[in-house]
Amino acid sequence: MRATNRSHIKIHKKFDLKNFIYSFVIGLVLTAFIIVTLYPILNTLAVSFNDALDALRGGIYLWPRKWSLNNYYTVLHKESMMTGLSISVLRTVVGTILQLFVTALIAFVLSRKKFVFAKPISILYVLTMYVNGGLIPTFLLFKSLGFMNSFWVYVIPGMVSAFNMLVIRTYMNGLPDSLEESAMMDGAGYFKVFTRIIVPLCKPVFATIALFIAVGQWNSWFDTMLYNRMADSLTTLQYELMKLLSSVSQLSGDANTAALTGSSSQVTTKSVRAAATILTSLPIVVLYPFLQRYFVTGLTIGGVKE
Amino acid sequence: MKKVITALMVIVLVSALFTGCGGKVKESSTDNGNASVGNTSNDQIKEFTAFFDRQGIELNKENTIQQLIAEKIGAKCKETWLTGQSAEEAVGMLIASDEYPDFINWTPELQDAGALVAIDEQLDKYPNIKNFWSESQWNSLKQEDGHIYSIPQFGNINEKLMDTQQNGEAFWIQTRVLKWAGYPEIESLDQLFDLLNRYYEANPTMPDGSSVIPFEILAYDWYYFCLENPPQFLDGWPNNGRCIVDPKTFEVIDYNTTPTAERYFKKLNEEYRKGIIDPEFMTMSHDQFLEKISSGRVLCMVEQYWDFRTAEDSIKAQNLEGCTYIPLGITIEPGMKEMYFTANEAAVLSGGLSITKSCEDVEGALQFVNDLLDPEIITLRSWGIEGVDYLVDDDGLYYRTKEMRDNAVKSEYKASHLSTYSYFPNFIGMNPDGKNAMTPETQPSEFFNGLKPEVQECLQAYGAETYVDMLDYNEIDGQEEPWYPIHSFVGEMTTQTPGGLAWTRMEETKHEYLTQVVIAEDFDAAWDQYMKAYQSCKPEDFLAEVQEAVYHRIELVQGRNVRPAK
Amino acid sequence: MAGIKRVKAERVKDVKVKITLKEIIKQKELIVLSLPFVLYVILFNYVPLAGWIMAFQQYKPKDGFWGSKFVGMDKFKFLFVNNADFIRVIRNTLAMGIINLVLSFVFAIGFALILNEVVHKGPKKLVQTVSYLPHFLSWIIVCGILQDVLSIDGGIINEILVKLHILDAPVNFFAFKGLFWWIVGFAHVWKETGWNSIIYLAAITAINPDLYEAASIDGAGRLRKMWNITLPGIKPTIFILLLMNIGNVLNSGFEIQYLLTNGLVQSVSQTIDIYVLKYGISQMDYSLGTAAGIFKSVVSIILIFLANSAAKRAGEERLF
Repeated sequence: MRATNRSHIKIHKKFDLKNFIYSFVIGLVLTAFIIVTLYPILNTLAVSFNDALDALRGGIYLWPRKWSLNNYYTVLHKESMMTGLSISVLRTVVGTILQLFVTALIAFVLSRKKFVFAKPISILYVLTMYVNGGLIPTFLLFKSLGFMNSFWVYVIPGMVSAFNMLVIRTYMNGLPDSLEESAMMDGAGYFKVFTRIIVPLCKPVFATIALFIAVGQWNSWFDTMLYNRMADSLTTLQYELMKLLSSVSQLSGDANTAALTGSSSQVTTKSVRAAATILTSLPIVVLYPFLQRYFVTGLTIGGVKE
Repeated sequence: MKKVITALMVIVLVSALFTGCGGKVKESSTDNGNASVGNTSNDQIKEFTAFFDRQGIELNKENTIQQLIAEKIGAKCKETWLTGQSAEEAVGMLIASDEYPDFINWTPELQDAGALVAIDEQLDKYPNIKNFWSESQWNSLKQEDGHIYSIPQFGNINEKLMDTQQNGEAFWIQTRVLKWAGYPEIESLDQLFDLLNRYYEANPTMPDGSSVIPFEILAYDWYYFCLENPPQFLDGWPNNGRCIVDPKTFEVIDYNTTPTAERYFKKLNEEYRKGIIDPEFMTMSHDQFLEKISSGRVLCMVEQYWDFRTAEDSIKAQNLEGCTYIPLGITIEPGMKEMYFTANEAAVLSGGLSITKSCEDVEGALQFVNDLLDPEIITLRSWGIEGVDYLVDDDGLYYRTKEMRDNAVKSEYKASHLSTYSYFPNFIGMNPDGKNAMTPETQPSEFFNGLKPEVQECLQAYGAETYVDMLDYNEIDGQEEPWYPIHSFVGEMTTQTPGGLAWTRMEETKHEYLTQVVIAEDFDAAWDQYMKAYQSCKPEDFLAEVQEAVYHRIELVQGRNVRPAK
Repeated sequence: MAGIKRVKAERVKDVKVKITLKEIIKQKELIVLSLPFVLYVILFNYVPLAGWIMAFQQYKPKDGFWGSKFVGMDKFKFLFVNNADFIRVIRNTLAMGIINLVLSFVFAIGFALILNEVVHKGPKKLVQTVSYLPHFLSWIIVCGILQDVLSIDGGIINEILVKLHILDAPVNFFAFKGLFWWIVGFAHVWKETGWNSIIYLAAITAINPDLYEAASIDGAGRLRKMWNITLPGIKPTIFILLLMNIGNVLNSGFEIQYLLTNGLVQSVSQTIDIYVLKYGISQMDYSLGTAAGIFKSVVSIILIFLANSAAKRAGEERLF
């Protein structure tokens, strides 16, 4: 971004028709893109602020037809939401820091071109993306490791994701070897090379991966359901919302039982779902511009070297 | 970097302190008070846990009525429900981990896994439970080892059925259509579509200019029963589900291949080609379906009431004149007896509430279930607190104000105040007091107050007072027809048996072909193609297994073998 | 700096080091650093693979892995022998996997490149923030909106097409078998393009600004710079993601197909995961699901080994 910025200021000082048309076309493409992607968000927002019974009629596009805050009230009134919120924040913070650190470290080790075991260990990691023991074996393992009713099930099992590791490794591969060599010449060990030289250069990719991890942590609820279902103090926001949404959804799949118990489909499905979605994506939306900063600073630091 | 690591360490340690003591300690009193209904102080209250493989509303910890019941009977139960998993997955996980909540909904797999506690020998100590079902009904619950492991929760009619609303299936038609035609008798399929055609021709649009949809069919996912099962009703059979059982010959009949089925789909095909059926019905989602109903544009459909109730609520809220629905018991020929509504108490029971081997206080758990059936508690569960959720008039009849009615459907009110223990045994029909209905929805006076004038007018025109009156009244004697309803057997079939595999294939095939049959340009060719695909699923395997189940149930209840001699 | 290196030396140098005792001693720090991770990944990702034994059993939860009855290859036979349905399901899964792969790459990279051409910081940040928001909507919500938008009953797309006289009458898009895969593909584009482009935008920041300046002095236009500098600069990232995703073509999904399907398009919409749900999991047959899972894993592994060695021969960034 700064790169193109700088070059254009220097070279194209006077009005340039070709350049103008170019910018115009780009502006047009992006505007079209924004309209198309903004629509589902605005629609969800409109539905979330619309009266639930009225929303059932459909036909709400960009603006609520009948304003109501009830959907948000329905989502937020539950007493367990506060516990859920604090655990969600905690797992996002702890999980992101821990996972980023560990993933970066293993990526660093595997990006050392001379490392004799780099290939077998890489294969070991890459394959984890495609093999899966299934729900029950994993559950039994975690249970035997004492992860039932424990906070650690949120941060330990997913500590290294092969995907994130490979993205970081690719970035590190692009850094010049000369940096490492000169530091080693000065007597630094690998760990020191990692912390002193590599980490500062990797800020943009770290910011990206941190975002991925944080979103994953913040959005996950399945682990809560499997392992901490009965531990009220370890519940997460997303799990509480899932419970709320599944209590108002209608995928019970058995018409005869439904008719027998007289359980009717609940009013709130669509609008409450919309309100819950808006509420849970807010924190991440706020987080992102903060991370965007690093996309620029990483470059500056990188630019100084070499 | 060091700073970051130090910070990390601190966070990890702090969070460990925070959450290390996170595991829930189960409140359990050592003092096993013979808690019958009385007052118990808070610290003596036993807390049980339950998991139901259904979707439900999780109550707040400080739920008012749950707390009140707990103080009266000395126990309460934390109910958890299905979240984001299928029922099979959730139960499979429990079995694999071999740890269970105290209460659970019976499944064959749990039984098979030895996860449940036999309760038959203790039933005598708990009269409310013991008397909940008859001796022969209890007998039908015996597993292979001769013991009983579950208490079926639903379908127990106290004194008489009070149903005012047809909760199940019917052809539902808007009152304005009947009013326009001068409230004619509509009995057969042809009469119905004739009326819809005439009305649509005269009234093609809504007051706001949007187009009217004369007939709607829901075909989305498992809701496609609206498309596939009417042939059984059209022939005058009750909702056995999945197939017909002839009560005279005990023969299992496939309703998918009857002449009526072909006639019905041919009729739908004709009407579709005329533009009477929603051109989008075959691709419409459930949400879109509810949207269309809520808009008041749909004149008629086949549906089960519980599924579109919210949409009708939306119609009422919008005050769309004449757009609420009345059930019609349509048959293939006029003048036939129909069985859309049935009052029955099943003779053969299956499933229900079970106590698991993880329960440390089985006696306490049974006592809890027993106490929940106490008349006072029953009223708390279904009506709520007197003066808060309902009022009592001079004759002892319960009634509610509009505010109370509105409260009862709010989800936050349900979570914080009401506690129905919906998956614990409960009656339908009359309240134990012999005056009121079991639930507010079935209380006649409550029902009338909730009706719109247009509905009252329509019902009166047909000499009816309730929705149920619009249909034939049928009672099915569980002793005479012990197989009813046979869907409780089909629901337990799996792909492990040829019949179960055939059933899964039949479902897939019907789902794929039935919409094609309705929209086909050449109905006969499409029907032949469908029948060919259908027969290749081997429906005979399925029917044979169901047939055997029917014979088995007859043998179980009547003690006679009615299998034809070979 | 990273950019220069790549542009100058197109091919990644292959540093081959023989495993000798001397090397191992020299690299003891790296070995010590990596050891815990090796143990970790074995424990958390490979130990549960013992569960694959289920595919050869009639697994019952109560009997566990050691007590369940062995049925040999029965589950695989059920899937592959005389089962035209399952072959069709594989075809659907693969087709949607490939369509999703191609569309998501083209759109995410294209979007990142175009966004990089925006000079002003403010609009750029805004566009990017808006673009990734749909990622946070669940498929239930996205599919609901999609069905509304494409409906013949007042759906906006049909109304526009009819008003522009491209169509004579509204078209029921979900009724055509030929359209279903593309609807799924473009739904992914709609939901994930902004999100997927984040990685590329991060990679672009590593390109040395001097390169652009040098190119400008040589008289290169903006399009040329995009093609000759930006694209080669993110090539390693593109390759690594491509390799990873090639292994995922059989994981083209469950939820979106499940939500959007109907009887008319069922024969092209059903994926492996949906088939397994219907015939396996919802019937308490975990073994069938495991067998299908093993099949998918084997195919994925073959694919990434093939793709990886192709990348190696081409001298591109690779997985291992």
